[in-house]
Amino acid sequence: MELLCGEVDPVRRAVPDPNLLYDDRILQNLLTIEERYLPQCSYFKCVQKDIQPYMRRMVATWMLEVCEEQKCEEEVFPLAMNYLDRFLAGVPTPKSHLQLLGAVCMFLASKLKETIPLTAEKLCIYTDNSITPQELLEWELVVLGKLKWNLAAVTPHDFIEHILRKLPQPTDKLPLIRKHAQTFSALCATDFKFAMYPPSMIATGSVGAAICGLQQDEDVSSLTFDALTDLLAKVTNTDVDCLKACQEQIEAVLLSSLQQFREEQRESGKEEEELDQASTPTDVRDIDL
Amino acid sequence: MSDARQIPCSSKVCRRLFGPVDDEQVRRDCDALMASCLKEACDRWNFDFVTETPLEGNYVWERVHGLGLPKFYRPSGPWGGHDDLGGGKRPCPSTVLLQGTSQGDHVDLSLSCTLVSHSPERPEVSPSGSSAPQGRKRGQTSMTDFYHSKRRLVYCKRKP
Repeated sequence: MELLCGEVDPVRRAVPDPNLLYDDRILQNLLTIEERYLPQCSYFKCVQKDIQPYMRRMVATWMLEVCEEQKCEEEVFPLAMNYLDRFLAGVPTPKSHLQLLGAVCMFLASKLKETIPLTAEKLCIYTDNSITPQELLEWELVVLGKLKWNLAAVTPHDFIEHILRKLPQPTDKLPLIRKHAQTFSALCATDFKFAMYPPSMIATGSVGAAICGLQQDEDVSSLTFDALTDLLAKVTNTDVDCLKACQEQIEAVLLSSLQQFREEQRESGKEEEELDQASTPTDVRDIDL
Repeated sequence: MSDARQIPCSSKVCRRLFGPVDDEQVRRDCDALMASCLKEACDRWNFDFVTETPLEGNYVWERVHGLGLPKFYRPSGPWGGHDDLGGGKRPCPSTVLLQGTSQGDHVDLSLSCTLVSHSPERPEVSPSGSSAPQGRKRGQTSMTDFYHSKRRLVYCKRKP
């Protein structure tokens, strides 16, 4: 008798739909509506009194870790951050509610995007039971009301596939480029300085940064840096200089988070094995610059 | 839990980020924000969703009897009677706004509203609302339109 030991993915996914990916109108529509889903203002200046930018990073990092550990779909985290930012842009919130808010946003994003969504109970456990499922459900209504039930927001993830399709890269390199680009745009969602950028620009910058980063080790692109930037800028109608600046910022954030990670690793070397289980979005740490 | 994605409770991801959470304050803030959502809805639709009374404003509200709405859309419990959807407690937006009212008189009764123009030069407004001056964001002119679009969404979601 043989024992079969394999991880069975219980989630069924649809195959990529060529009607959605090979029709340019989709990309154009995404570009047209993306601005609607940006937070209304830079809320640390004009709305929030108690919350500081570093607290947003704390809650974002926690949310990313939960999504990774629960192997959520890639879109869940950036979408949840979009909800969080839009809520905070309108409602002054004490810092003691921030984790509850983060949990609610993951709850909603997961329900919108996943076949098997995160449960309220599970999210409460991740807050170390500092909130109850009942509170989560009640706040879900509050957040929905404040977001005007407008949940189908556009995130950088929506653009990545459209951008990749327009590049002359060899198809065998695409999965790696895609994975890195997704990681970079998730990283951008943890940093407030990207919160007001159009998602298309973050996506374009992430793809650019991914290709440039990978290019150092292997030949993933036949284009020069400038030719690549020009092409990318054209795909999403982004200004070339803005795109370059955005890509530089992404690379800087990546570098600092890699450094931070190495420091943490040095501090707690033994926890490494546990950490390595995380898979989605791609770990920043297995990316070499 | 029969869930595919179990939580290791010892996981270092399980953590409290900002110290103790005051349950009382969470509840108070929730109620206050919920009230402000209701207020916004009330201002937007000139309709008091708590007492179910039409107010002065852009919309004219009238009672509609025997609309033949599917049972699904008629709130029956405090969260609406959605047990057949499997989702259990999730209310739809209209029942959210209706919560807290007496439930008895909802059966077979609904309200429809029409956008009216306040400018004297345009006394007639087409029922579709597409030509209404303030109608830019208001393609939806009656609650039945709303119900139809909701219903479509539900069916799409259930397709395999």
